[in-house]
Amino acid sequence: MKLTRREFIKSNAVAAAASVAGVTLPLSNATAADADDGIRWDKAACRYCGTGCSVLMGVKDDKVVASQGDPDAPVNKGLNCIKGYFLPKILYGEDRLTKPLLRKTNGKYDKNGKFEAVSWDEAFKTMAEKWIAARKAKGPKGVGMFGSGQWTVWEGYAAQKLLKAGFRSNSLEPNARHCMASAVGAFMRAFGIDEPMGCYDDLEHADVFVLWGANMAEMHPILWSRLTDTRLTKPGCEVHVLSTFEHRCYELADNGMIFEPQTDLAILNYIANYIIQNKAYNKEFIDKHVNFTKTPTDIGYGLRDNDPREKAAKNRAKGKLTKISFEEYAKSVEPYTLEYTSKLSKVPKDKLLRLAKAYADPNKKVSSYWTMGFNQHTRGVWVNGLCYNVHLLMGKISEPGNSPFSLTGQPSACGTAREVGTFTHRLPADLVTKKDAHCKFAEKTWKLPAGTIPRANGKTDGADQSDISGKPMGPTLIHAVAMHRALNDGKMNTFWVMCNNNMQAAANMNDESYPGWRNPDNFITVSDPYPTVSAQAADLILPTAMWIEKEGAYGNAERRTQFWRQQVAAPGEAKSDVWQVMEFSKYVKVKDVWPEDLIAKMPEYADKTLYDVLFANGQVDKFPVEQVTDSRGNKYDNDESADFGFYVQKGLFEEYRLFNTAEGIPKKGHEMADFDAYHKVRGMRWPVIDGKETLWRFREGYDPHVAKGEGVKFYGKPDGKANIITAPYEPAAEPPDKEYDLWLCTGRVLEHWHSGSMTRRVPELYRAVPDAVVYMHPKDAKKRRLRNGALAKLTTRRGEIVCKVDTKGRNKCPEGLIFVPWFDAGRLVNKLTLDQTDPLSKETDYKKCGVKVTRA
Amino acid sequence: MNICSLIVHTKPTHGAEVSKRLQRFQGVEVHGGTEDDKLIVTIEDEGESISPVSDTMNALRDVDGVVSTVLVYHYGGEESMEEMNREIN
Amino acid sequence: MSETERKNEINRRQFLGNMLKTACGVGLVGLGLGAYSKRASTMPANYIRPPGALPEEDFLGACIRCGLCVRDCPYDILFLGEVGDEVATGTPYFIARTGPCEMCEDIPCVVACPTNALDHDLKDIEDSRMGLAVLIDQENCIAFHGLRCEVCFNVCPIRNRAISLDMQHNTRSGKHALFIPVVHSEACTGCGLCERACILEEAAIKVFPMHLAKGELGKHYRLGWKEKEKAGKALVTPDTEHRYNLPEGVRYDLQGEGLIIEGEAEETPFSSNPLDTLNSGFMDK
Repeated sequence: MKLTRREFIKSNAVAAAASVAGVTLPLSNATAADADDGIRWDKAACRYCGTGCSVLMGVKDDKVVASQGDPDAPVNKGLNCIKGYFLPKILYGEDRLTKPLLRKTNGKYDKNGKFEAVSWDEAFKTMAEKWIAARKAKGPKGVGMFGSGQWTVWEGYAAQKLLKAGFRSNSLEPNARHCMASAVGAFMRAFGIDEPMGCYDDLEHADVFVLWGANMAEMHPILWSRLTDTRLTKPGCEVHVLSTFEHRCYELADNGMIFEPQTDLAILNYIANYIIQNKAYNKEFIDKHVNFTKTPTDIGYGLRDNDPREKAAKNRAKGKLTKISFEEYAKSVEPYTLEYTSKLSKVPKDKLLRLAKAYADPNKKVSSYWTMGFNQHTRGVWVNGLCYNVHLLMGKISEPGNSPFSLTGQPSACGTAREVGTFTHRLPADLVTKKDAHCKFAEKTWKLPAGTIPRANGKTDGADQSDISGKPMGPTLIHAVAMHRALNDGKMNTFWVMCNNNMQAAANMNDESYPGWRNPDNFITVSDPYPTVSAQAADLILPTAMWIEKEGAYGNAERRTQFWRQQVAAPGEAKSDVWQVMEFSKYVKVKDVWPEDLIAKMPEYADKTLYDVLFANGQVDKFPVEQVTDSRGNKYDNDESADFGFYVQKGLFEEYRLFNTAEGIPKKGHEMADFDAYHKVRGMRWPVIDGKETLWRFREGYDPHVAKGEGVKFYGKPDGKANIITAPYEPAAEPPDKEYDLWLCTGRVLEHWHSGSMTRRVPELYRAVPDAVVYMHPKDAKKRRLRNGALAKLTTRRGEIVCKVDTKGRNKCPEGLIFVPWFDAGRLVNKLTLDQTDPLSKETDYKKCGVKVTRA
Repeated sequence: MNICSLIVHTKPTHGAEVSKRLQRFQGVEVHGGTEDDKLIVTIEDEGESISPVSDTMNALRDVDGVVSTVLVYHYGGEESMEEMNREIN
Repeated sequence: MSETERKNEINRRQFLGNMLKTACGVGLVGLGLGAYSKRASTMPANYIRPPGALPEEDFLGACIRCGLCVRDCPYDILFLGEVGDEVATGTPYFIARTGPCEMCEDIPCVVACPTNALDHDLKDIEDSRMGLAVLIDQENCIAFHGLRCEVCFNVCPIRNRAISLDMQHNTRSGKHALFIPVVHSEACTGCGLCERACILEEAAIKVFPMHLAKGELGKHYRLGWKEKEKAGKALVTPDTEHRYNLPEGVRYDLQGEGLIIEGEAEETPFSSNPLDTLNSGFMDK
């Protein structure tokens, strides 16, 4: 029944009068019309974090008019966090971008011009010209693309093909580099295969939870709700929380610990030492399943070459492991006594001891969770590994409740960035550009000549790869932070930022990001649904169809792959990322970017466009357009398929699946079900073999890759054994000193997603948390003549911002440390941060630099 | 525009009769209650210029058979009529 | 209350004001407008007096309608009652939903008050009692359904004391927890930051003047466990030790679990005596 606003108000008026009078009215008069009439409901994965809640979206007349948590979803059982509650509103911000916008003066592109609406054709023509020129002039690193852990699986896959095979450039990175790279590095070093062995069911099976640098209460709200429930309902269950400041998780903590930044390294070594000293380790497990190794130390901080800290580093960025004996390992952790560690970390001894005992108790199942505290760490790979060490020593791994679990921040950091491998050094399914054989497998799968994909070292079969620039390919890897430096130095000239807001997100905006983007030599493209800080700093803005305005797939932190159908059309001329990547590839010819000797291997490709060879390759375009319907017969549009003339998402996914599921793949263990299967389920956890999902990996019975009688097998490694990797405590790059006398730590809040480009456009969320504040200890505030609510100026060696002081809020900092969230485009905290990285994972450390606070 | 609802008490057994009389007024609708002699009435106007609700209310008081009127609900918005007649679901 | 709603509210007042002019003449007192004259002393429930305001009657006596508190409020949240308003003309109030008290540490509105209508003895803003937050709609508050909101808790400036979270098992989902916000009147100042932040279209948590918000226990009644806690011991002579007639293997814990049967076997479909099983027929099952 249709209802106008007038009728609606009138029906309320009638109902009010009737209830006062005690009069019963005929039904049609007394009740407002059933507003749910004619709504089409369908499932989707939540747009935000790595938890991967399922939501139901109610659509009427091509608009999302209602939403609910999916009551049948195993992750969230109908629940949502506050961001999820407002999901439909992120689509309908008033300032959605609906047309491509190019900086122009007098009708021509001008780096310093004003944004003007242009056609897609003009946008791509301008872009292609710049890209082809940069690729020729500057080699494989002359162009670059910065994607996202919020890309759908096929968007990442299409971009992977465009850059690595099309442009023959490894300059493809996801924002997951800022987020998960350290976790990946540690997985590969310890287990030889990426992503957690456990799953969310550990949350119900563990007796002890330990949080290491994870504010789960705010960043993984629904998982925290599950953890809390276990703590409340399971006798003897205890929660240990470690962080450099007190956050919401401490409300539940039985053992809350605040440690001095960077000393988590020491604390983990202390636990290992305690386990060994008390002979609590699981000898049988170690003998059968573990190798002991050490990693080079004094490896620097991922800063620019000329930084004195880099010059002083003995083994800059080195990470090759050397085998050692158990005894040597034991000796390496011996210095980490309770005394020493407590003094260094400032955590009271009884608390450390309680934590060590929990890990060492053979009868307690322990699950450790971590997020950015571990990953955004100049020793991120090490510290991830040190946690595995403790679990491996005890054999507390790969079984219900015993889980070292790296939580992802983004909805598809796992599904897209990691599994599709949209990093400079990776290919799908854990293959790497470092290995000639892996590249050859990818080339064969993609029907491309051998030698197309740039090798990490620029050599194939021992010879230099030739390049369109006329010079040998040379080393080709370039990570996220290095990309901004290369833009700044004019070595990279075109940069395409998609599905993220890297101007706001990357560290050291003043010295690196901004001058890099605005370098007159460079042409920056930003694809986004909203005018973000990145869009403001771009030269070309492409309007993006977001989330459920396209068919999509995400992979969450527990290896669960979830699909959704296109629910509504995008506004104006906005187009999805996959459309943008594929359409742009039509504007570049093979001969524009490939050298003659490569084309000579497949001369029929010479005059074709990248679109022809990458997407119209008889494989991706194999599935004809079909009417998308659900089991109830509801019909859904698919704009990409309509535009390209084949079922785009299915074609891309099925080709991608050749990397993880086809016969003869180089690395087993990532198997996935077919495209159609995922549309019917609320996600499946890979490996999926014969339609069965895998809950715990590496354990007989749970994991089909472990044969009967093997018990546990870490099959990512050739000998089936995991690595315990010893690494010491090393200090941070920029600890507080006399002038910059406080630690600065940055992070997130429950109400806002990342840079706030979506959630700050939801009025209710904006009202709840409008601006970023600086959380600080009241004594630190008082010393600086500041008090709650006062304006403070925060200054580092790189820049300054002004924000309000909060001494009473949700985060309680210890003296000597301040915390500032980064969601606020009005207070860009990354003007302050240092572009330091873990030298191994290249992930930025946003948690530790020196800062000065004064009255504003 | 304004939208009001009222309870109009009528003389015993006069509900139906009064109901008919009320409906002759512009913007007045009777939604029920004739059998209880308590009429559930709404009054609408389209802005102050055309027959304001307040005038209509006063007028109802003088209708034959009306004992009393009680205002229960008032909505007064400044939306355009176009806005008011937009479908909301 | 959104900006438009507020406008509507004003419009309603104007409308009713107009009504009154005509209505009185024709005896429309039945419309309930007779109460109008009393409005000056009975404010709408969502109008909250500034920090330190004396009890309402005393306040109305002491307030000289000078407007200095309004002038000195750095956040411009205070209004003065206007003619025809539902609050005494010229007296200050704020509406939490649109502009709550930001809890300035130096309380400039109180300092500005020339008459002590805003009590100058109020030195610590946390001691003020402007009203009391009440989680009035537990049906629509999404925390009660297990959604992770807690915005009111997060924004509350009297952290974890004025609003705490009561964590409970979610029986519907079976594996999640509920985080139920609970307001504590001994700490809540009634600043209204929670009401403004509430993400529902109409706030589920609202600040009301104290007399509307708070129930009162019968003056005679004390909560026994609280009195005992206060006293640190039982108020009357403690029991002597109890002893019981109990079979072997059974204990009785007076203050705790009650009857404890030690080594009680877990329930199975079988009798503990094997003969019971052996002697029973199985064909008829």
